[in-house]
Amino acid sequence: MAPTDDRPEHERFSVSRRDFLKTAGVGSLATAVTAAGAAEAEAQTGAKVVGPGDVPVSLMVNGKRVDLQIEPRVTLLDALRNRADLTGNKRVCDRGTCGACTMIVDGRTLYACSTLAIDVQGKPIRTVDGLATGNTLHPVQQAFADHDSLMCGFCTPGFVVATVALLEKYPNPTRDQARHELDGNICRCGTFVRIMEAALATKGVTRG
Amino acid sequence: MAEFQGRGGQAPPNPELADLAKRYAWPEKPALISTRVKRLDGPDKVSGRAKYTYDINRPGMIYGKIVRSPHPHARIVSIDMSAAEKSPGFKTALSYKEAGAVVMYQGDPVAAVAADTEEHALDAARLVRVRYEQLPHFANVDQAMAQNAPVVFPGGNTKVGAAEEQGNLDEGFKQAAQIVEATYSTHVITHVCLETHGTVCEWDGDKLTAWVSTQAVHGTKDGFVKGLDIPAANVRVITQYMGGGFGSKFSPDAQGLICAKLAKQAQRPVKLMLDRKEEHLDTGNRPSAFAHIRAGVSAEGRLTAFDAQSWGTGGAGATSGFPLPYIYDFPNRRRTHKDVYINAGQQRAMRAPGHPQGCFLTEILMDELADRVKMDPVAFRMKNLPPAAPNAAWGEYFEIGAKAFGWDKRHPTGDPTPGPIKTGFGTSAHRWGGGGRGSKAQCDISSDGSVVMKCGTQDLGTGTRTLVAIVTAETLGLPVSAVHPEIGDSIYPLSGGSGGSTTAASMTPAIRLTAGKALDALAAKVAPHLGVEASTLTASNGRVHVVGNPSKGLAWKDACKLIGTEPISVASEWAEGLSSTGTSGVQFTEVTVDIETGIVKVKRILTVQDCGLIVDRLTSESQIHGGIIGALNFALFEDRILDRNTGQMVNPNMEWYLIAGMSDIPQIDIHLVDTPVQRARGVIGIGEPPTVSTAAAIANAVRNATGVTIRSLPLQPYKILQALEEQRAGGTN
Repeated sequence: MAPTDDRPEHERFSVSRRDFLKTAGVGSLATAVTAAGAAEAEAQTGAKVVGPGDVPVSLMVNGKRVDLQIEPRVTLLDALRNRADLTGNKRVCDRGTCGACTMIVDGRTLYACSTLAIDVQGKPIRTVDGLATGNTLHPVQQAFADHDSLMCGFCTPGFVVATVALLEKYPNPTRDQARHELDGNICRCGTFVRIMEAALATKGVTRG
Repeated sequence: MAEFQGRGGQAPPNPELADLAKRYAWPEKPALISTRVKRLDGPDKVSGRAKYTYDINRPGMIYGKIVRSPHPHARIVSIDMSAAEKSPGFKTALSYKEAGAVVMYQGDPVAAVAADTEEHALDAARLVRVRYEQLPHFANVDQAMAQNAPVVFPGGNTKVGAAEEQGNLDEGFKQAAQIVEATYSTHVITHVCLETHGTVCEWDGDKLTAWVSTQAVHGTKDGFVKGLDIPAANVRVITQYMGGGFGSKFSPDAQGLICAKLAKQAQRPVKLMLDRKEEHLDTGNRPSAFAHIRAGVSAEGRLTAFDAQSWGTGGAGATSGFPLPYIYDFPNRRRTHKDVYINAGQQRAMRAPGHPQGCFLTEILMDELADRVKMDPVAFRMKNLPPAAPNAAWGEYFEIGAKAFGWDKRHPTGDPTPGPIKTGFGTSAHRWGGGGRGSKAQCDISSDGSVVMKCGTQDLGTGTRTLVAIVTAETLGLPVSAVHPEIGDSIYPLSGGSGGSTTAASMTPAIRLTAGKALDALAAKVAPHLGVEASTLTASNGRVHVVGNPSKGLAWKDACKLIGTEPISVASEWAEGLSSTGTSGVQFTEVTVDIETGIVKVKRILTVQDCGLIVDRLTSESQIHGGIIGALNFALFEDRILDRNTGQMVNPNMEWYLIAGMSDIPQIDIHLVDTPVQRARGVIGIGEPPTVSTAAAIANAVRNATGVTIRSLPLQPYKILQALEEQRAGGTN
């Protein structure tokens, strides 16, 4: 199905969000999104068009390359959880509100439930699964465990990643900085008090 | 829990168990119990290694999706699967309801599909064509109670309960110097478990293995047995980790049974996790509560009379009861309650069912009454408490709390400080039952010294797994790390659902006695070696030794070498004497209110709380944080909003359904009561009590800050601005 193309995969299939939205918009105008329809859309907009079926997507996750065959509409979170069995980060609100899916991509936190996998090809992706080294927890993880900064634990992976990002930005954060950087995450059990304790107590995270 | 309630504590006397319970009463000087023990599964949860139901991926697994009614009330005319069956990746489908059946709320399950990927399952579900004939519906209690309302619910739109009466109401009102009469209310909120309800089902022939996000592995197993009509021996339910339940996860529910059926039809494992919208619509909620109350107080500040008509809705055909009046001693009282049915998902138990509602309705009234007789709210409450008892210690706690909080700095109602930011203090009291019974456990000790304690309980996030290890280790004189707790699986001995703050009180006595019985068995092996009677042996600091003489004994490993090839394997169960019921607590809050924007900020909350014998102080405190923060959400943010015309939920997500974030969290000071009196009561439970009073205390603090009384939750800015506006216009606030 895919046209012959000698470019490396991440270039061939790297589609910006804006391009995706443009093509998706055009696609919905057509009676059916066929290969021909897509080609037509591409001709009209100048955007690269992939799909609608499975396409190769190559991700760099926790330092390892993960090659997948997925539909372009699959989010980064679902790609990793459902296709790569990287289930550490959780799906909770599924629309970029609660932060349980927080990952660090290209040095910045993002909501993986609201990011298309195909959009982050070639970029370094860090998930909660990759923070520990063997049985040695990342200092943030150790602080969470020591301070009882978790209860059911379902928001915890997102908070851990957000706290890692906080400390890589501000190795000795003020309470206000920590509050601000962690405000994108929601906990239902009510572990906030001890997450704050852990964030302020963690030492030894270097500027990212 | 249901398994045990029927016994009503009338199990036949068991002399051996009673003897065990006597010999293994809680230790007077525990090494581990009541200390701060870190959660054993903390490392698994912070690293992402902990596998929740949502994370279970099985070989060949496909995905299920439920088709739900978009209408609040309708008759199904037809269900057409033909287009869905042709969609890419489609595997199987089923009708949950047939044509002609009636759906009673938005989100009522109608049909289901399964497909190879989650995306394809969603596509197929969208292609299921269901035609409906829409029927009249109620989106709120006023519509359901209207004079000319159509009969939407068979048997009537409301159900009036019997009046609860005590004393002489007329006499009570005659004694009153002041009377307050007003209507108070609380709103509907949903549980918002971060891990949505759901199941992974896998069949091996006739045997079903179900990974379920549940707070009752045995109860859920029973639900599959009944719902699928299959033998109990053919079902296994596993819940190693679960992402929050709060009272909403006790059975397979529709989605569990649907998942099992899809898996059977497709002959493939099926994962069916609800999405966030389904979670709001169809997995329970806390019912609303309304009460029109008339109450009297004497000139001396004694409550004299309480007369209330209350009502509320638990959704389509469900109850909405709550205790009223709450705690305080109204000698003459009458109350009637009416369940009102509306076309919305049914309520389920939600963290301290009924109590936050009854507490709010009563406690706002209490502050109004106190003001009428010009008394301090704490002094007024203390004057009207029921007699003090170990499970009713509010008077003592009010004194401790008021002092620690600095209550003497409270200004009278209405902050006189100039400027838009007003500060206020509020207080409230609460009670909860807790307690529990009926758990069983099994303990295996091997010749290599390893200890496994098995119990079919589950960890909602409260720390149950850690509590199993603490009590086992305490009894065997070992460090916590030497014990392997095995829970969250229906193959383990029966234990009840984790509801009503009963888990610790039901499970820890069983663990204690099972570990004690195992130690007895080990002592019988060690005694001949030491040339002493087995009854003279105990275990502490990693040794099995003669009581009072640690040097006459063996190290744990050496003692276990005497076990031989057949491990010690003993079972025992809960018995009277190690647990109790009934907790009391009080809370104090300080808030600021911006009277130009109506925004409330909670600055600090202080609680004085007992829970009998504390098992793990660290996780107990975490639960108190959680209860308080949950109630802060109830007070200020959460609100299930149904459109009054369409009956559709307006905010079935997490951006318009508001929940606190880090910036909303106040300072929280916990005074966890740990006294000889409380320790002697045994284990009780702490999950629910702390979530009861916070909303009332916040509302009273807002009243103290602004001088206006908001008698309904949540305390949204518009309500506060409206009340202030009414006050300026000369209203009755």
